[in-house]
Amino acid sequence: MNVSATPALEARDVHKSFRAGRIVSTVLDGLSLSVDAGELTLICGPSGCGKSTLLSILSGLQPADAGQVSALGQPLDGLDKRALERFRLLHTGFVFQGFNLFPALTAYEQVALPLGYLGLKRDTARERAEAALIEVGLQSRMHLRPAELSGGEKQRVAIARALAKEPALLFADEPTSSLDAANGQMVIDMLHRIARHHGTTVLCVSHDPRLIGHADRLLTMEDGRILEDRRTPPKVVAKPTGTSR
Amino acid sequence: MVSLARKTLLYEWRRFLPAVLAVGFAGLLQLLQAALVLGIFGGAAVYITGSSADLWVGYPGTQSVDQGRAISPDVASLLYMNPEVERVEPFLWVDGDWRGGGTGGVSVFVSGIDPGPNGLMFAHALAPNLRARLREPDAVIVDRADLSKLGVGIGGSASINGHRVLVVGVASGLRALGGVNVVASLDTARRLDNDPSDAGRPTYLVARLHDPAQAAKVAQTLNGNHGFGPYRVWTAQRFARRTMLFWLFDTGAGAGVLFLAGIVFLVGAVITSQALAAAVVGSIREYATLNALGVGVRALRWVILEEALWVGALGLGGAALLGGVLIALARREDVPVVLNAPVTLACVILVLALALVSGLGSMRSLRRADPATLLR
Repeated sequence: MNVSATPALEARDVHKSFRAGRIVSTVLDGLSLSVDAGELTLICGPSGCGKSTLLSILSGLQPADAGQVSALGQPLDGLDKRALERFRLLHTGFVFQGFNLFPALTAYEQVALPLGYLGLKRDTARERAEAALIEVGLQSRMHLRPAELSGGEKQRVAIARALAKEPALLFADEPTSSLDAANGQMVIDMLHRIARHHGTTVLCVSHDPRLIGHADRLLTMEDGRILEDRRTPPKVVAKPTGTSR
Repeated sequence: MVSLARKTLLYEWRRFLPAVLAVGFAGLLQLLQAALVLGIFGGAAVYITGSSADLWVGYPGTQSVDQGRAISPDVASLLYMNPEVERVEPFLWVDGDWRGGGTGGVSVFVSGIDPGPNGLMFAHALAPNLRARLREPDAVIVDRADLSKLGVGIGGSASINGHRVLVVGVASGLRALGGVNVVASLDTARRLDNDPSDAGRPTYLVARLHDPAQAAKVAQTLNGNHGFGPYRVWTAQRFARRTMLFWLFDTGAGAGVLFLAGIVFLVGAVITSQALAAAVVGSIREYATLNALGVGVRALRWVILEEALWVGALGLGGAALLGGVLIALARREDVPVVLNAPVTLACVILVLALALVSGLGSMRSLRRADPATLLR
């Protein structure tokens, strides 16, 4: 592997398998990869290829069976559950396919809730939550509950919730799958913009072909390995190829 | 900080309603049960609690006021020898068989008391003018709630142990446990007593002290004396307690009550924790998302515990409101209910403990809030 600077995310020889009864299925088979900051990296591939598992390992949601994983230069392998939670609290944001918003909370409260756990002062939390909602274009919808928002608006609230934490790493899992074309487009533009303007490392997993043209880098996976690593044309720095074994 | 617990509780109140109702009804049952137990078993000591005596002197080893045996009337002299004693009065207990009013026979407890205006026995239950009516020969007073059971009205007559008696008045707060209380003067009671071994001797002697605060000390001093035959001195408070505990535990009723309290607690906790767990599972993906964003499992447990305590507080509020109404209604209908501060506090603590235990029980469902499951 040829790695120049410290990558935002790095996986080396990562293995992961799941057991169902006597059957052991290998999901990731000696996968290595590095992802750079300030880019929107898209992992695509057929379902069951291991892309979501890879995202969950890189984001510290679950451990790998073998291999090394580091994020922001910090190894994640040795961390216990609480330390991983702390790491995620400080450095990561998540956007899921389901918007996973609390029905009882307004858009503003959804965004402000995690900030309270970050230990931010009330005023700072409010400023950040409002700024994030304004950034996703929901300034006039801040006080509405999920039941009063459209699907696209809900996903924008989820993005604002991730964004308000000002994370260095933003993970998105099929963020556009539940959305129509226009809203899907809006969401992918936002993720792109976040990578550009905030210098955030955005790692997105999707099988939505509409996204391909918007990614800075496209990784294609199959059977637990990376088949292809491609940069979309005129991007600035050519960065190392994360390779599969 | 946004209070997830409170906002969820308010917005999804339908989801929490079963838990609130379970806690509320468990609380209400505990409260009413406690009030009834105190009322009913406290009724066993109505002779003591309804009187203004500070000391009770009876046969040694007497476990409950209704179990008394005759003692020597000479003990009164011993009592008067103590300078703290202000007044001594005999109390005669006669087991009677009430006939009349088409009732076919009712077992009654006849209390023979001093009907004087300064009499100690039933000083709280009988007003002086009512007591005065007991001076008439064969006059008796009963609790108004017992009238129908005895088949008489005021001015009606019946017989006890074959002697004619006349109901000259009714009072409240005389209801007994296991029978009917009939109050008569000492003279009347002696006439009704067919037991030759009693020979007019009192079952108890009751005494008032100049300073009621000295009761325990005086009782101790008096118990150190001998020479007047077998007797034992108790403070009124102690004897009432002894009587109530005897009825509560030695009759097996207490064990039943405690058993029922345990069942109510268990059922309440199971329903409440199930309802809370359902509420948690209903938002499990949102909790998992918070955990993915780094909000620790411990913090999420606090949210659930807070919800549980709110549910407990709301249930308690409802139970207090409804309990208050029901107790007032019970009092109006002469159902014996008594609530005191320690028992009420115990109920409150029990209900909050129930909510807490339910909260802890429902926390198990948080295990399903694994953020890795959100990735498809």
